[in-house]
Amino acid sequence: MNFDALVQSVIDDTLSPGGSLAAFRPELTICATIVAMLVVKMAVPRWRNSAFFVALLGLFVAMYLALPRQWFVDVPQGIFTATLINDSFTIILRVLLLLFSTLFVMFTQVVGNSDGDEMTEFYTLILGALLGMCLMISANHILIVLLGMEMASVPCYVLAGMQRHRAKSSEAALKYAVFGAGTAGIMLYGMSLLVGVLGSAQLPAMTTQLLNMIQQGVSTQQATVLILGGLMLMVGVAFKLSAVPFHFWAPDVFEGATAEVAAFLSVASKAAALGLLVRLALGFSYPVNVGFPTELVPHIKPDDAVVALQPVQQFISAMIALMAAVTCTFGNLAAYGQNNMKRLLAYSTIAHAGYMMMPVAAAVALVGVDGNAPARDAIGALVVYIAIYLFMNLAAFAIVAVLRNVLGSEEIPDYAGLVRRSPGLTVCMAIVLFSLVGLPPLAGFSAKLAIFSALVQAKLWWLFLLAGLNTVLSLFYYLRVVRVMVLSPEPLYRDTAEVPLTSAVGLYCTVLTAPVVLLFFMFGPLLKWANEAAHSLFFR
Amino acid sequence: MNPLVAPIGLSHYLVVGSILFVCGVLCMATKRNVLGVLMGIELVLNGANLNFIAFGSPMLRADQSNSIGLDGQMIALFVIVLAAAEAAVALAIALNYYHTHATVDVDQANELKG
Repeated sequence: MNFDALVQSVIDDTLSPGGSLAAFRPELTICATIVAMLVVKMAVPRWRNSAFFVALLGLFVAMYLALPRQWFVDVPQGIFTATLINDSFTIILRVLLLLFSTLFVMFTQVVGNSDGDEMTEFYTLILGALLGMCLMISANHILIVLLGMEMASVPCYVLAGMQRHRAKSSEAALKYAVFGAGTAGIMLYGMSLLVGVLGSAQLPAMTTQLLNMIQQGVSTQQATVLILGGLMLMVGVAFKLSAVPFHFWAPDVFEGATAEVAAFLSVASKAAALGLLVRLALGFSYPVNVGFPTELVPHIKPDDAVVALQPVQQFISAMIALMAAVTCTFGNLAAYGQNNMKRLLAYSTIAHAGYMMMPVAAAVALVGVDGNAPARDAIGALVVYIAIYLFMNLAAFAIVAVLRNVLGSEEIPDYAGLVRRSPGLTVCMAIVLFSLVGLPPLAGFSAKLAIFSALVQAKLWWLFLLAGLNTVLSLFYYLRVVRVMVLSPEPLYRDTAEVPLTSAVGLYCTVLTAPVVLLFFMFGPLLKWANEAAHSLFFR
Repeated sequence: MNPLVAPIGLSHYLVVGSILFVCGVLCMATKRNVLGVLMGIELVLNGANLNFIAFGSPMLRADQSNSIGLDGQMIALFVIVLAAAEAAVALAIALNYYHTHATVDVDQANELKG
């Protein structure tokens, strides 16, 4: 192919109606919104809320563009020379991320104690991180994995330290930045090992080469380097997931940063990291994917390829399952001694990261079984959990932020007797916390049920038992918060703690809590929708 | 084969890269000054970068089919930019920490715990 033809083919691939740029429109909209926000701020300096309206408008447009045109895309599309992948998994996770960001932007405005001048920077950082997260969930190339993770992390370091004059905030930012940069460095070194041994930086091509090596017999040295590289890559992902043993930052950052930032880190950052984990775990264990260079392995059929990759699948599944088990148990145990609500929610987030890693382990273990139907269900369970977790955790942090505004405190003992002053908000908090435990009739129960059924199908009995035990464990510390809010006597000196549900903040909390109840009754359609997200990961 | 007398090849670069990586990790683990830790991170990133470039080099790899080609150099370029961005943010955060705590000792950052 000569140079002109090459350039022409790239232009065609990028600009044609169903081409790369068309599939990339939501991300481009986010970029444009960031620029527009800064320009509007400069052009109309007296309009204090300009950043909020521009960000909201941009997110609505991005959401409109991100919604799937036909109900689901069967065949994944590799965009930008297959460095990114556009399939229904990308589309649905991206819609969830954009939905979260929209709700989040409204949340910062409604709760709004931060001054208007800093909001432009705040939204710029949020949207910048969102852009990185969109890259993470669609990554198909090692470079995009790295870029996405860094683009999502670096703005978050700044967000954690936004309150410049608070000592705790600056300490949180310092810990987050140093720890994040360190794990990113280790992850990069692991990537360089994997890329070097496998001779490609594109995930499907790497998997193909892995397949070739397995068929020709892997030497011990090669296996050592591959396992080392895989573990180092996992360090970076585990940091984003706040999985044990890379979870140290989470409680400190959540306590030091504002409740708003903590909400963003606990939902959006987790969802994107899980999307990336699915991409990597399935990318290395299920070779039939976009850009699968069949010419490298002409003699092997997809089914045989899946069988040949079994050692890799077992390694990945065992690693993720072990990490999920430890993360979940640690998070739930450490949450007991906490008196700060944000710290408690941080440990709860760690525990939930553990729950959400379980279906990934199950899916990898189930690859190739029964035409991949059970593996698809496991990924569906993950997507459904993310969707429900989005509302639960955002609502929990929103209530914490509202209570901080009226009480000036985030300590659990200070919540004593709140049911007498603001019964509506207390009920909302109770619903959200019971849903986080996974009690019926709340959406958290259905989400946990979906994950447990995936574990049963994968025959990961020990993990299933551990997850069940953890659910029982978690009941008590969530219940303690509700007990303090309802049963403890109100302190005498409190005079302002009324948050009626008819006020703007009350209404916002109600709107967020409602899906936690409603999704329990509408679980069937949600699960169907989530399964379609998983469908494209196992296309033929 | 004695690596000290063999002609320079891929493994020499990998050895230098791994030494940089180990130095960096040791630096991250032992330094108490934030700036020292950040320098350690730079060493780790550069160790990885050296690997990428060596793996991508057409001169070093006899087996051309297994070379990552220009991808290696592309990734290295991106990593340089990322390292600069990350260092800028981390230094700004360290400076802010200095303003509130009058120290940049990471061991003193123990207000948040539990």
